[in-house]
Amino acid sequence: MDYIVLAQQIANGLVNGMTYVLIATGLTLVFSVLHIINFAHGEFYMLGAFFTYFAAKLLGVDYISAAVIATLAVAALGVLANRLFFWPLRKEHEFTILLSSLGLALLLTNGGELLFGADPKYVDSPFADSIVQAGQLVVTQQRVLIFVVGAVILLALNLFIRHSRMGKMMRATAQNPEGAALTGVNIRQVYTVTFVLACGLAALAGALVGPTAMIFPTVGSWAVLKGFIVVILGGLGSIPGALIGGLSLGVIEALAGGYISLGFAQAIGYAIIIIVLLWRPQGLFGIARRT
Amino acid sequence: MPSRILLPLVIVLALAAPFLTANTYFHHLMVLWMLFSLLALSLNVIIGYIGELSFGHAAFFGIGAYTAALIGMNFGLAGIPGLVLAAIVAGLFGFVIGYVSLRIVGPQFAILTLGFGSIIYTITNYWVDLTRGPMGISNIQPLGLWGEGGPALTGARGYYYLTLFLVIAFAYACHALLNSRTGRAFIATRENAPLAASLGIDVFRIKLLGFVVATAVAGVAGGVYAHYLTVITPDVMSLQYVAALIIMVIVGGRGTIAGPIIGALIYVALLEALRALGPLRLVIFAALLTASVIFLPGGIVSLWRRITGEDTRPREAAE
Repeated sequence: MDYIVLAQQIANGLVNGMTYVLIATGLTLVFSVLHIINFAHGEFYMLGAFFTYFAAKLLGVDYISAAVIATLAVAALGVLANRLFFWPLRKEHEFTILLSSLGLALLLTNGGELLFGADPKYVDSPFADSIVQAGQLVVTQQRVLIFVVGAVILLALNLFIRHSRMGKMMRATAQNPEGAALTGVNIRQVYTVTFVLACGLAALAGALVGPTAMIFPTVGSWAVLKGFIVVILGGLGSIPGALIGGLSLGVIEALAGGYISLGFAQAIGYAIIIIVLLWRPQGLFGIARRT
Repeated sequence: MPSRILLPLVIVLALAAPFLTANTYFHHLMVLWMLFSLLALSLNVIIGYIGELSFGHAAFFGIGAYTAALIGMNFGLAGIPGLVLAAIVAGLFGFVIGYVSLRIVGPQFAILTLGFGSIIYTITNYWVDLTRGPMGISNIQPLGLWGEGGPALTGARGYYYLTLFLVIAFAYACHALLNSRTGRAFIATRENAPLAASLGIDVFRIKLLGFVVATAVAGVAGGVYAHYLTVITPDVMSLQYVAALIIMVIVGGRGTIAGPIIGALIYVALLEALRALGPLRLVIFAALLTASVIFLPGGIVSLWRRITGEDTRPREAAE
């Protein structure tokens, strides 16, 4: 067995996995705090990538600034999405909210196709073509950037939720919204902050992955699907679950693609998830509502 | 009771509809409406009666379509045997997937079915030897009675009557089910699963039963669809169709029989009416969907109740 190839596959898998983690963390955050399944989550990933592309092209700024601008802009859009599509429906049946987010997803995908054009685009990044070498392992700088930024952001998010006042308010809302409101937690503010964080995370993932793959307006459904798969694997509503689930999915897919069949890599990834779910239906770290 | 006069009137109208115009494109739209009605009614068993949201329903439609097409191509059994096998295969997949997923409920179930749907979609896309991959299968023969030779259905009008018959039969079955002991067990399970279990209802078995019936009917719809269009691609299982089916059920009115049929009509008619707008069409469609979900959560059928004051909604959960 060739250990260098194996290590290379694992390294690539970890980087892909980190993008899954970034996507899935937002999804799982919105679910755990607000009990909302946001189908439009992938569209914010798509918007993040496209905003980066257009910020670099139209404003003429460098890649890093474009990525920051895109992330902030999409996070601001998250405020709007919450006010129009989620906050007004907070007392409705969960199907209604789910469908409202599905409507938002269709709106953003098709609106994106109308505005950005359906042809694939490449985001330019100075890091995409230079490489980092560690022993015999070769990784592009962009992929190192994805991994490092992802890890730092997740750490910061974890600290924010654990120790900041807002983080504590979010955790209180997650446990019991009425109880939290009674003790003076501003639920409206919690909704806003949660959506800003989730949409910002998705956009950041889009801005980071943009230079390593083609972007097109329907990429959002790919992203939300990956996010959901990770979230099922790790357990809905669990951030450690999203981390472990995302990284393992990335590595499993890379190994299956490298050693079994590239075409079936995704299907093999899914198949392993089903085996895990047969053992733990609620996901690795999840707490399920059971009948 | 206006429905006593209304129902035969609607059926007579539906039977006469193809003769109102010789326009074959109109007939084509009618077939699509009936096919989507059948699918929406089957999904309604899961959403409306079991009370779970399935995001994998288009996959069973696709399984039925591919089964019927492959049986027709490889064994020359395009016809009733093909459709029966389509139902059996889709139902078997439904049994296995339902057996795994129905152990959890709510959002987790929705996402899990989405995952299963994607697996089936991915495999169909990549198993080129069997399914010809993204190219799809073309030149599927028309629907006959028993394989090749003998009478075969051609033309949209014939398919319209076939699908109309299937819709009426399944709608009647749903109606009969709701008034049976099993149907009441469905509703009890939807409203309060622990309470239903305490009354001696095997909640898991009831749910699995509903799921398998729904997927088998979706398989039949897929089989008819494959023979009617003569071309199928893996795209029939894509997220777009999943969303479309859910839209039909919810916008029409879940848990009712008229709702999914009206929802299918709205879907077909609206996409047709907006065709001239090009890419803007789906944006407007999405906006209308979102608006209807926000302002009319009970679906179009709930408008009827608002106007007449008659209770058409079968014992909805008061959340």
